[in-house]
Amino acid sequence: MPGNRSLSTQRRGVRQDVVRLLTLLLPGLILLGMFTFYPILKMFIMSFFNWRIGYQQTSDFVGLQNYLAVFSDPVAGMALVNTLFYAVVTVPLQMALGLFVAVLIHRITRFSVTFRLLYYLPVITSWVVVALLFRYIFNNQGLLNYFLKDVAHLADGPVRWLSTRWMALSATTILGIWKGIGWNMVVFLAALQAVPLEQYEAASIDGLGAFGKFRYITLPNIKGTILFALVMLSIGAFNTFTPIMVITGGNPAHQTEVVLTWMYYQTFSATGKMGYAASLSFIVAALVAGIAILLFRFIRPEGEGKS
Amino acid sequence: MKRARLSKALSYVLLALGAVVMVLPMVYMFTTSLRSNDATFSWPPRIFPTGSDLTFANYRYVLSEQNFVGYLSNTLFVAVVTTLATAVVASMLAYCIARLEFHGRRLLYGTIITTMLVPGLAMLVPQFELAVTFKLVDDLWGVIFFYSAWMTPFSTFLIKGFIDTIPRELDEAVRIDGGSIYTIFFRVIVPLASPSIAAVSIFNFLLPFEELGWSQTILKTDALRTMPVAITMFFQAHNRTDWGFVFAMTCCAMVPVILLYVLLQRYFITGLTSGAIKG
Repeated sequence: MPGNRSLSTQRRGVRQDVVRLLTLLLPGLILLGMFTFYPILKMFIMSFFNWRIGYQQTSDFVGLQNYLAVFSDPVAGMALVNTLFYAVVTVPLQMALGLFVAVLIHRITRFSVTFRLLYYLPVITSWVVVALLFRYIFNNQGLLNYFLKDVAHLADGPVRWLSTRWMALSATTILGIWKGIGWNMVVFLAALQAVPLEQYEAASIDGLGAFGKFRYITLPNIKGTILFALVMLSIGAFNTFTPIMVITGGNPAHQTEVVLTWMYYQTFSATGKMGYAASLSFIVAALVAGIAILLFRFIRPEGEGKS
Repeated sequence: MKRARLSKALSYVLLALGAVVMVLPMVYMFTTSLRSNDATFSWPPRIFPTGSDLTFANYRYVLSEQNFVGYLSNTLFVAVVTTLATAVVASMLAYCIARLEFHGRRLLYGTIITTMLVPGLAMLVPQFELAVTFKLVDDLWGVIFFYSAWMTPFSTFLIKGFIDTIPRELDEAVRIDGGSIYTIFFRVIVPLASPSIAAVSIFNFLLPFEELGWSQTILKTDALRTMPVAITMFFQAHNRTDWGFVFAMTCCAMVPVILLYVLLQRYFITGLTSGAIKG
């Protein structure tokens, strides 16, 4: 039994403490049990059935058929590639840009609160709002094409941003980076402020330049924060739903679906393939968990082994 | 000395240029909301409206002829209840996991961390079935229960990280004075962990202003819609072209969130960082 020392010192209080412990634990256990743990288990079971919802419907056990259907479905493959593309492009770029902005704000003395507000504005604005805004800006007759064609003369005609797969995905990716910079800025700014100043002074005496200081002092000190941001943003990238839903709706011909929009479509489309959607969800969940564990294994900062 | 001043000036210039990129789309949204729907498709597009096509008609339409106040109060109701429920449940869980010994403690914490990795919307199918069973479809409580359950794991994780930094001697002192774990929780943990609870709460408060997938699945009646659903439906109902109306609505929807940020800016930052530094 794991250390009961603090309880056994007050034997009479033990029973009362158990009751109190339960009252503290139960609300959370019930909420999570009913609305999170149970659905996850249920999802796992559903993924092996040809699941039907509603009265007088029977669901047939189909074994691994749903999983096979996911793996042989070209749209599911495309959706996975699109999600990975979004993750691989947006996560490093928004981290790098956010860190760069944080370093700049850390150096200046005036207007830092103003800059923080301006860069943070897209973060607090809802995804639905910014997705609509980008849909308008990336329109064929939109502001961006006007700049590209009539102001900068970089394009001959209007760029058809939202009608082909990779162009539409690029537009969504630009949105993702633009919206994410502020979050990274705030997180990295806090990390920069926690780096001990003496280390920089010592480095100055050793004759390190600005880049040397960044490389040998700043980066090692903010390693934990980089890992934190990497994990949070990777989870977030797999969570992408609203921008695709609003900007392309998965069109043209499901070419811009990401895993969650494709799962949503499969669940509520006319055919309502719930078993298929459940197995797709489970694959995504397993993938996200796998990536998070890998990240922790590879860049776990030394000396932070405790839970 | 001169070089230092130069590099500082360069920092200001770069930051200002970046800030323009961040803010320009927002400004454009606001100025578009002040133009008539026809003018929003004029070529060349203009960032700033000229005097003649400046109008407040879009705002009049959104605020008086649409159920904007209803959508906002739905969203606020969901936000307040979800935030309170999550704050209570998560801080109690976090305290138990951080400080008390019981069977399955590690298992519970491990499970909570794992569920944090599962996207809330990924559980769509079983959650929808659950909502049908409990008659929560087309009900604001259907959104509240699930949002609270989605937000509890991450909130618990962050608050637990903060509680770990509170010295255990304080608990022992209450123990010696004959206090129970309730006393420790209410007199020591809650007051000292309040910055992290506040920060997590702000984060949770913003979810109903943000989340689309689940809310549009559950909320079918117009009178019950929260902001993201209402905006999406409004966009579709206006043939996806009445940008003046749409942006008037989105600008109004941003006001409460920006107010919240300006008032509570300090907590926005501590909340993010307590998680960042603890990892």
